[in-house]
Amino acid sequence: MKAMKKLAIVAALSLMLWSCNSEPTLQQYFVKNSESKDFIALDLTTDILRLNKSEISAEENAALETLKKMNILAYQADAKNPAKFEAERAKIKNILKNEKYQELIKVNSGKEGGAVYFVGEEDKIDEFVLFANKNDAGFAIVRVLGKNMSPNSIMTMLSVLNKANLDIEQLKPLQKMIPN
Amino acid sequence: MTWQVWTVCQNKKCIQKSINTTKMKKFLITAILAIMPLSFFAQSAFDKYDGLEGVTAVIVNKKMFEMMGNVKSNDKEAQQYMNLVKKLDNLRVFVTSSPKVTSDMKLTSDKYLKSAALEELMRVNDGGKNIKIYVKSGGSSTRVKELLMFIEGGGKDETVLMSLKGDFDLNDVSALTDNLPGGDALKKGLKGPKGPKGPKGPK
Repeated sequence: MKAMKKLAIVAALSLMLWSCNSEPTLQQYFVKNSESKDFIALDLTTDILRLNKSEISAEENAALETLKKMNILAYQADAKNPAKFEAERAKIKNILKNEKYQELIKVNSGKEGGAVYFVGEEDKIDEFVLFANKNDAGFAIVRVLGKNMSPNSIMTMLSVLNKANLDIEQLKPLQKMIPN
Repeated sequence: MTWQVWTVCQNKKCIQKSINTTKMKKFLITAILAIMPLSFFAQSAFDKYDGLEGVTAVIVNKKMFEMMGNVKSNDKEAQQYMNLVKKLDNLRVFVTSSPKVTSDMKLTSDKYLKSAALEELMRVNDGGKNIKIYVKSGGSSTRVKELLMFIEGGGKDETVLMSLKGDFDLNDVSALTDNLPGGDALKKGLKGPKGPKGPKGPK
């Protein structure tokens, strides 16, 4: 019996690993590149909002609970190496082609563009992906990870943002991206 | 060597000629069948403008509308907005100031209007801007399955091509018109079938 259980666990684990490896995911891309000096990586949690707990209603709190964290990965285009920018951008576009990423909105002007995707079901969203890119400047991918986020909870979260006392310090690394 | 290739080609030609017409027909039908779903599902005829240099494209998908429609709101006007939004399938807007793309858009949309059997709803010439609105009706007179708007902006003005698909009521769209290019003209046109109405009131 024990052996059976073990076998089942091993099988499940290997299945999980296999499914992870079957095609490149954003997760892998993040892990691979967050250490690279060409990229700026940033992980944020709801701590950044520095909310005063007493001011938050139960509903707002419930909405915030569905949000886990935010990962940002930005690549700054190097004028000396435009090929790398193109290659990296193409990689991401390829990843986002996966059916798992359902496109919500796309804006594109030929030179710059942005798109929003989500993963999960309409009222049980596990992840939002924001992808913005601009020729000669670079691109940024933002992953908003959560569990069972719903459109309503997102609206609530947005309203909470007004109350937030944003911790700008945590966003410092991104300043490098913005040309002075 | 070249001579050899040439003979092979010649042979091929002979073979091709010998293929009887029924086979050719079969091939054609298969090809058409293969392409047909593309034209139905793989977006519209205008997707080629997405990502084109000098064209700004905005694409909003059904999922987005569904999500927006699920947001609860206490505001009455917003509620009306949400009701419309739920019925939409997708919105595409292409804006360009390039004369070359403009003429191409004109050609493509003319072709599309014929193939998709859209009817002209109205046509306005407003200060040098040529605004045309077409609809594909479904069921009743105000029920619409598709709305296409083409604003031809000669000279400095931008050309706008907008395609809205779904299953919605023209009267509902009036809630949207304030936020869209050519909204004013659209509003005037929409008032036609049912007299002046809409929550916005006169400007």
